[in-house]
Amino acid sequence: MNVPLKPVPMIASALLTLLLCSCAITPVEPWQKGNLAKPEMTFEGDVLDKQFTEHTYFSKEGAFGGSGVGGGGCGCN
Amino acid sequence: MDRVWEGVVVDAIDARGVKGSDSQESSAVNPLGLALIKAALGLPLALPMALPLSLGVSLPACADSAPDKGLVSFKYLDYLDSQPGLDRIRVRAPSVLVMKPLSSEWSVSSTYTTDAISGASPAFHTQALKNMHDERHALDLSATRYLSSGARTFGGSYSKEVDYLSRGLFYSMTESDESKNSTWNAGVSVSSDQINPTNRVVMNETKQSYDLIAGLTQVFNMDNIAQVQVAHYSGKGDYSDPYKVFDNRPRERINNTFTVRWNHYLPGNESTVKMGYRYYEDDWGIRAHTWDAEWVKPVGNGWTLAPSMRLYSQTAANFFINADTSGSPFPPFPTPGSTYYSEDQRMSAYGAHTYGFKVSKSLGPDTFVDLKIEEYQQRGSWKLLGSGSTGMDPFLARSIQAGFSHYF
Repeated sequence: MNVPLKPVPMIASALLTLLLCSCAITPVEPWQKGNLAKPEMTFEGDVLDKQFTEHTYFSKEGAFGGSGVGGGGCGCN
Repeated sequence: MDRVWEGVVVDAIDARGVKGSDSQESSAVNPLGLALIKAALGLPLALPMALPLSLGVSLPACADSAPDKGLVSFKYLDYLDSQPGLDRIRVRAPSVLVMKPLSSEWSVSSTYTTDAISGASPAFHTQALKNMHDERHALDLSATRYLSSGARTFGGSYSKEVDYLSRGLFYSMTESDESKNSTWNAGVSVSSDQINPTNRVVMNETKQSYDLIAGLTQVFNMDNIAQVQVAHYSGKGDYSDPYKVFDNRPRERINNTFTVRWNHYLPGNESTVKMGYRYYEDDWGIRAHTWDAEWVKPVGNGWTLAPSMRLYSQTAANFFINADTSGSPFPPFPTPGSTYYSEDQRMSAYGAHTYGFKVSKSLGPDTFVDLKIEEYQQRGSWKLLGSGSTGMDPFLARSIQAGFSHYF
């Protein structure tokens, strides 16, 4: 019943995204990173908030993962 | 499955670059304004002023050295889900995070959460709700080493319920180029679970799984940063839900995800737009799209507002049995001869919307509080691109989080 997955399209999508995006890069010097250094511009977010939110979606939806590694499993899904 | 991403951070200051600046470079900076340089120089100290929305274990500003201050953070979650006319599960979950730098090279962190779960859960589709209660204790411990070009984090996780025990290990790393504009990340985790449902449908069942992730975070210009990640999950063992009728799932599950995140700073009104998209596919036949967006707006006097929304859509697992109320109150039987089957609403085809609002307030240079409210709803008719599963009630949830954080 398991459907074979083909990871190649997904990896190709990632590489294509990187390639397309690389055209729009303007090198930024350290002293130009004032806005980038604002906490809301980082990707980590509020750790406990993120744990709650991802745990809830893991419990209530069919899809999961993709944001990182670590954390414990549970019997909620 | 809680995921803690020890992540990729933007260097506010490349210390080597600043120290290495000669007078010529300094004069080249002048057009940007001396004030901006001063602001950049002050960022590592100033960061905690604005951290309530970004309480990261690997705190921002310096991927190549440990945070200056430790952090203790508390959060309390009150969660209630329902379907029209019936409350289902309620969760009350206090949690705590402690992060402490040990030196300029090392920091350790830990999170502990207790979920008190009570209410009722459907035996099939959205029918035959049965009372349940449980308590979950989850502990994560990790250590991070900061190197000149990145960070290495390793740790373990432990989660215990009456009927479920999970133990895991994880390792992740980041590596930046000299300009700190490009940062690669990679990670791996393994988990070993034991399952002993209280109804003894099965006993001493197990599940083993691993995750792999790799990605790139790229600074595009002074106001834009994006991240691309691919991840792979593979597990073997007991995936069936022992508390549902007619639930027999494959003993193997593999999924792949592709995630793009983009943060855009709006200098005009000094706010940030954060957007993300995830594509998900697994070997059970589920394909899912997730879009999320958040607007973070500091409004003065230490207040920050952040409305957010999330859209989600998934196809059904290929062994999902559609609801059929003609035989009510009995569940529809699986197709004769079928090996795998499930009547779990989470395996159906549906769409979901989330609307959230978060308010943060600094009470001083090192102390913050926050409050977040979210409304969530699943409906078969909200599935994108094609029709969703029918014959089930909408699923609704609302959650309230209240948090307190202090740097020491």
